[in-house]
Amino acid sequence: MAWPEGYGRRVLAEVDSTSAEGARIARSLSGPEWILGLKQTAARGRRGRPWVNPAGNFAASLVLRPTEAPEVVALRSFVASLALYDALEAVVGDASGLALKWPNDVLLHGGKLAGILLESAAGHLIIGVGVNLIAAPQAAQVEAGAVPPVSLLAETGKRVLPEALLDALAEAYAVREAAFVTYGFAPIREAWLARAARVGEEIIARTGSNAYRGTFETVDEQGNLVLKTSEARRAISAADVFF
Amino acid sequence: MSNKNHEADVAFIKALADVLRDNDLTELQVKREYGEDDSLNVRVSRVQPQAPIAAAPVQHSVPVAAPAAAAPAPAAAPADDLPEDPAAHPGAVTSPMVGTVYMQAEPGSPAFISVGSTVKEGDTLLIVEAMKTMNHIPAPRAGTVKRILIEDGAPVEYGAPLVILE
Repeated sequence: MAWPEGYGRRVLAEVDSTSAEGARIARSLSGPEWILGLKQTAARGRRGRPWVNPAGNFAASLVLRPTEAPEVVALRSFVASLALYDALEAVVGDASGLALKWPNDVLLHGGKLAGILLESAAGHLIIGVGVNLIAAPQAAQVEAGAVPPVSLLAETGKRVLPEALLDALAEAYAVREAAFVTYGFAPIREAWLARAARVGEEIIARTGSNAYRGTFETVDEQGNLVLKTSEARRAISAADVFF
Repeated sequence: MSNKNHEADVAFIKALADVLRDNDLTELQVKREYGEDDSLNVRVSRVQPQAPIAAAPVQHSVPVAAPAAAAPAPAAAPADDLPEDPAAHPGAVTSPMVGTVYMQAEPGSPAFISVGSTVKEGDTLLIVEAMKTMNHIPAPRAGTVKRILIEDGAPVEYGAPLVILE
């Protein structure tokens, strides 16, 4: 495997959060940079949810300086989750049991294996990626109704080192990013949908103010979750999805 | 604005201002439909309870197909510092994307801003989330937060006014 040209690589023994570190160093970077934290002391999930991150699990962030409009920048949620799927397929050796959950979770055997959180500020985008390589939190530690967490080790018996996954992810990401920049969202969307969980099935999308139950029809050209409820067809841009 | 309605409009606005004051409201917006393509939008607001009542611009929307004689006036749409649509306010900061608004970095954290906050250019005003991307919306310039037009957790559309910054 070859480290992609033009991407920086730094590995930190310990860091509060790789995304926080990314935000601190973003201005000083001359190009995209991957930051791997072997140990994170203040890992965070969406909206401040704790993200359990023992040593041996994967925690890395990619710092980019995209120039597109914000709604286009946000589509990297799909670029990143697709690349992570590719990378996991590469390190595990096959893709059986892997699936994507809108907008950017990676599932293994129906459980949550990985989460991605993107943060855009001051001209930079930070893509934070967490993968339960060797350990997952107990189901009781996550929100009721959420997809139960799983680890790669427990599900497959394979022990993958964080640096090995970083190499695979950086390579896969560079390929998907190049496609995104060159051809736009269409090829990413198509590949993403081909790997998506629960298309055509009933799901629940909980937004900041409402919860909608309906059939997960597709992801539209803007990246929205398209849900057909009993009343309407809704395009949802931000929500937690429950199966 | 057609003259025949002018006096009635003024009376109407005065009545609204009374309602505003008598009920101790800070803002009131009313749309009156006079007929097809002819309506009146009024917003009256008070900056502080003690402050005098300021009447917002009054604007009759003139139908495109109106007789030419009625046409010269539409340019008379008053240009002052209180446009009826907050998005048109010169101090409006609008949403660059469709998403969900968060007023603080994470639940339990203090809000980035409140009315009266002074901000520097580039300071985060709020977050708009879409596709699990947290977009920090920066202050386009230094100023004071005059109004916050959205609520935490609410969905916003592209171009929706978020904050008035002066």
